[in-house]
Amino acid sequence: METVYLAIPLAPLIGAIVVGLFGKTLGRSVSHWVAIAAVAVSTVLSFIVLREMLWGGGQPYNDTVYTWMVLGDLRFEVGFLIDRLTALMMVTVTSVSLMVHIYTIGYMHDDSGYQRFFSYINLFTFAMLMLVMANNFLQLFFGWEAVGLVSYLLIGFWYQKESAVFANLKAFLVNRVGDFGFLLGIAAVLMYFGSLDYQSVFQSAQASPDMTMSIWGDAEWSVITVACILLFIGAMGKSAQAPLHVWLPDSMEGPTPISALIHAATMVTAGIFMVARMSPLFELSETALSVVLVIGAFTAFFMGLIGLVQNDIKRVIAYSTLSQLGYMFVGLGASAYAAGIFHLMTHAFFKALLFLGSGAIIVALHHEQDMRRMGNLRKYLPITHITMLIGTLALIGTPFFSGYYSKDIIIEAVGHAHRAGATFAYWMVLLGVFVTALYSFRLYFMVFWGEERIDPHAKEHMSHLPRYVMPVMEWPLILLAIPSLVIAWFTAGPVLFGGYFGDAIFVAPANDTLAELAGHWHGPVAFGLHFWASPAFYLALAGFLTAWFLYIKQPGLLPAIQSRGRLLYEVLVRKYGFDWLWINLFGGVGRGLGRLLWRVGDVTLIDGLIVNGSARTVGRVAGVLRHLQSGYLFHYAFAMIIGLLVLLTIFIGQWRGWFA
Amino acid sequence: MNFQMPDFSLALPELWVATMACVILVVDLFARGRESAPAFYLTQLTLLVGIWLAIDAQWGRDAVTFSGSYVADNLAVVLKVAMMGLGLLAFAYSRDYLRQRDLLKGEFYVLGLLGILGMMVMASAHSMLTMYLGLELLSLCQYALVAFNRDSRMGSEAAMKYFVLGALSSGLLLYGLSMVYGVTGSLDLGVIREAAAGVGAQNIMLAFGLTFVVVGVAFKFGAVPFHMWIPDVYQGAPTAVTLYIGTAPKVAAVALFMRLIGEGLAGLQEHWELMLVILAVGSLAVGNIFALVQTNMKRLLAYSTISHVGFLLLGFIAGTPEGYTAALFYAVSYSLMAAGAFGMVILLSRRGFEAEEVEDMKGLNDRHSGFAFIMLILMFSMTGVPGTVGFYAKWLVLKAVIDVDMVWLAVVAVIFAVIGAFYYLRVLKMVYFDRVEGGEALQAPAGLRVVLAGNGLAVLILGIFPDSLIAACAAAFGS
Amino acid sequence: MIELIIFYVFAAVLLFSATMVITARNPVHAALFLVLTFFNSAALWLMAEAEFLGIALVLVYVGAVMVLFLFVVMMLDINVAPLREGFARYLPLGILVGVVMVAEMALVVGAEQLDVGLTLTGGGAADTGESNTRLIGSVLYTVYVYPFEIASLVLLVAIIAAIMLTLRRRPGTKHQDISQQVRVRKADRLRMVDLPSERRE
Repeated sequence: METVYLAIPLAPLIGAIVVGLFGKTLGRSVSHWVAIAAVAVSTVLSFIVLREMLWGGGQPYNDTVYTWMVLGDLRFEVGFLIDRLTALMMVTVTSVSLMVHIYTIGYMHDDSGYQRFFSYINLFTFAMLMLVMANNFLQLFFGWEAVGLVSYLLIGFWYQKESAVFANLKAFLVNRVGDFGFLLGIAAVLMYFGSLDYQSVFQSAQASPDMTMSIWGDAEWSVITVACILLFIGAMGKSAQAPLHVWLPDSMEGPTPISALIHAATMVTAGIFMVARMSPLFELSETALSVVLVIGAFTAFFMGLIGLVQNDIKRVIAYSTLSQLGYMFVGLGASAYAAGIFHLMTHAFFKALLFLGSGAIIVALHHEQDMRRMGNLRKYLPITHITMLIGTLALIGTPFFSGYYSKDIIIEAVGHAHRAGATFAYWMVLLGVFVTALYSFRLYFMVFWGEERIDPHAKEHMSHLPRYVMPVMEWPLILLAIPSLVIAWFTAGPVLFGGYFGDAIFVAPANDTLAELAGHWHGPVAFGLHFWASPAFYLALAGFLTAWFLYIKQPGLLPAIQSRGRLLYEVLVRKYGFDWLWINLFGGVGRGLGRLLWRVGDVTLIDGLIVNGSARTVGRVAGVLRHLQSGYLFHYAFAMIIGLLVLLTIFIGQWRGWFA
Repeated sequence: MNFQMPDFSLALPELWVATMACVILVVDLFARGRESAPAFYLTQLTLLVGIWLAIDAQWGRDAVTFSGSYVADNLAVVLKVAMMGLGLLAFAYSRDYLRQRDLLKGEFYVLGLLGILGMMVMASAHSMLTMYLGLELLSLCQYALVAFNRDSRMGSEAAMKYFVLGALSSGLLLYGLSMVYGVTGSLDLGVIREAAAGVGAQNIMLAFGLTFVVVGVAFKFGAVPFHMWIPDVYQGAPTAVTLYIGTAPKVAAVALFMRLIGEGLAGLQEHWELMLVILAVGSLAVGNIFALVQTNMKRLLAYSTISHVGFLLLGFIAGTPEGYTAALFYAVSYSLMAAGAFGMVILLSRRGFEAEEVEDMKGLNDRHSGFAFIMLILMFSMTGVPGTVGFYAKWLVLKAVIDVDMVWLAVVAVIFAVIGAFYYLRVLKMVYFDRVEGGEALQAPAGLRVVLAGNGLAVLILGIFPDSLIAACAAAFGS
Repeated sequence: MIELIIFYVFAAVLLFSATMVITARNPVHAALFLVLTFFNSAALWLMAEAEFLGIALVLVYVGAVMVLFLFVVMMLDINVAPLREGFARYLPLGILVGVVMVAEMALVVGAEQLDVGLTLTGGGAADTGESNTRLIGSVLYTVYVYPFEIASLVLLVAIIAAIMLTLRRRPGTKHQDISQQVRVRKADRLRMVDLPSERRE
């Protein structure tokens, strides 16, 4: 099996290298075949691993494959921890990645950076797999940074566009803030538990859960709480939780397949995965879990609200992603890790579907992203329409769709949680359901129904697309629509209540909210039929009806509402001022400070005095000394004799004790 | 007469190389016309097989044979593999260079191979006599190679200087060895080790002999103030020969130190430690400061060698297995970088034009960005930038020194390394930022390009995955 | 007692002639003094019962090396004047260094710590009653076979290097090719020409 584990991340790496270095020589079609084949290999092997876990009686694998460096007691290693959690993530990552690879053929068909793009997404798949399969913090951090790097490269893929460059810089900087916390968290773990290996860290943490440290004055802080919160700050950066969410909507400047793969399905869920992976640590800290819960709930509701006022189709979905990530964190914060991960998986499918669908629309309309210039598209793009509808229904949690199971369980789990902030979180996620339905159907109605507001030029373009473009994009849509609809039917039971994760996730018995719910679970059909008892269903229905009323039935009402709720509208359009806060306040102060330090410190002190000054001195000294190297043989021999004399003197001095 | 038949199979690598050197000498006599191609390929084959033989016959052993003259252990294997590997590289680089200058003669390979044999003898020496003979074998080949281009005045002058100074240092070394022999009554390094450990530092004659031995070793390394030959020889010799002299013999010098002092006279550490500190600090200072004002690339690299030797000696000063490991690692990785740097000089040169000036590096990025990148890797590695093998080399050495509580020495070394960074970066500035009028595209034979690219990549890959090399070096010192 | 006197005589002559080697103005004289030095050291070796070394020194160095040396010195007309220019200038410094070195060595050697309780192995002929030459012969190809073979390689390198550095094939030079000369046939050298006899006008 070890070969298989190795092959899974290495196949896309090789693909990335081959396509990246020789893409120009190989040509477009060979390049994309190489890339797709590489990911396909990983996908198939991941499924084999999962099957082995489920039915083959496969035991979790935890071993080192390569020791990079040994520093005293500290070992820097590359190793894999393959258990059921990992297997699930691997399957999700590789299969979504595969769909995106295929879809890219169509989406990028007229782009000059075609091979570069394939190389990047192959590289991304490698990095993400390394992150997921890691058995130690170092490798986790490597994967963490590597996916961040690829994300940076891909957001700025169209680097001629100024907004894209701004967006990738923003993503990079905001992630730095998160990574700062993450790195501190890892450092804290290393300092107090003396290891980077998951298992040994978990064991030492379980052994001494009450360790404290004092950072400030005499106040005693729980080590585990501090470490967990620091790690969670990293997760906030990567998984775009408020207030570190500001980069994700801007990241939509990247090509749409990237939005689907990285900024919806996989990379942004790395934070969720990490917290679930660290469940043995987080379970020991009530405080840290409350922080997770509150931040997640806040994001889930308030970011969804912003989605209501966006007009760019991708940004609406981006805010929806933020909100759904919030849901996942709420699940984790309520100790219902399985529910969070389960939502991660279902969300990966339907959100990738929504993104790819919107991408298909964007391509068909010749890179038009404004929903105000769409409408009635169901006539032109029937397959996209149907699949997007399925995605939307899954997203809002329509009974029997996969999203229904994952989201409802989270809501109920929060309802049963007893930790600080649980009540707040419960109301937030419940109201969030209404908001989700509202913005989702707003999007759906504006794009596919209503009057046709398409630019004639774009319409012209639609009929001149190369013949292969639409099918190659539609097939992945169909393939993603199927799991969006059905995947929960088979998996909800085992994953949520059947103990699928086994030892991979640790839940303290007192916190086990899912166990409390397990009594109400009588299979997916029963759960689906039970929708009328859940308040979430009525809220979703209300959201749908509101959207229908405002965008189909009475479109004229909208401006009136906008002018009435002027203040609220402005606040939403300005995204609560987070962007302003970051860019002008922190960014501005930072830049000012930097400029000051640069002037005083760098230019005057370091460059002027130390660097150039000392360089000048050294240069002058050398200029004088070089005359010693005269070229005369007897000078050289004389130097040797003098050297001998010096050594002799030292030795005799030591012997006679002259130096003592 | 109690004579034991020696175990010839143990010395298979040396026997093989010696035999093949003679075979090549004869073969070349009959196959002169074809640019000595048979000699070249036979030499490379010899070295490849030699590497395999060394590993196969000696790895994991610890045996003394030839009546105490020869030892086969892990240290010998690591040293020999490094020597032969670097020799392989040097020959691969030199072929096109020599061909362009009508210097392609079979003697180059024979002398080079015999020189490598001399190094191997040193690596496996278990008696002062064998050590000295190996050293002379190596030196003699080097003198001849430096004068290889007979029509070059500078070459002849350099060879002459090298020869006279080499003879002087040989004399000093021999004097020291005779003192050691006089006190211990044996040539066998094992016996000397025990005697030195027994009478130790109190014995003044032993320590007196040691002083001269240190001088001999310092000359081989080119440590200040026994460094004067290095710039002149590096500059005067044909670049291909400089490449040969600048790489594998550094490893041989490690062998010389380890066998004679590190192992043989380990008991006198308190004496040689202070001497080495003087040599190391002097080398760091002189090497780095003089390099700043050089305008000739080969001279610059020569002074850079001196400064690197200063770093390398730090590992010996620590005097622990970790320190020796670090020094060996430093020697091997430095040689790899030096080979690349001289290879770059070869690459940019062509018939009738030696790209020896630092200025000739100008605009390399415009001429060929790939080789500019390799230059970047090499210079970064020499500076010690993380991600290259040079970083680990410096780091291991500094760690070893700090572990024995000589932090001030580490600080001094780092300060000089920072000064050193200046001239490496100056080269890079020329490569990347200086424009030159009419710089034509790079013309170089394909073989040379491949070797250079491989060399650059090796520096990078070893910089990312250094552990196997570190492990091999550590295994040489039984840890 | 008599041995001691002989030793000091030889040693004194040795030192004197060695000094003369480096101070003699005429290179031929210097070479001849070197011959004398060798003879004296050979004599010292003989006194130490190392007769093989003594004889080898005379045979090899005096008989072969020095004769060659004299040959070269006489063939090359070395102009000694410029070589001496720096001598006076550097003499004081040289003497200073020399004095310091001698003083330091005297400190060490004067310490009389040579005897450290280790018995010297090897020893002279007197111990076994066998001749020195025979003893060397018996170990040279057995115990010291490895160094011996390396020494042979050192000589090989010397030969190769000497030939490589001196043998030149200039395209323009004229030299005999014996095999060509031997293989020559009549037709190559002799051409029969019919010349009509001159007619009288």
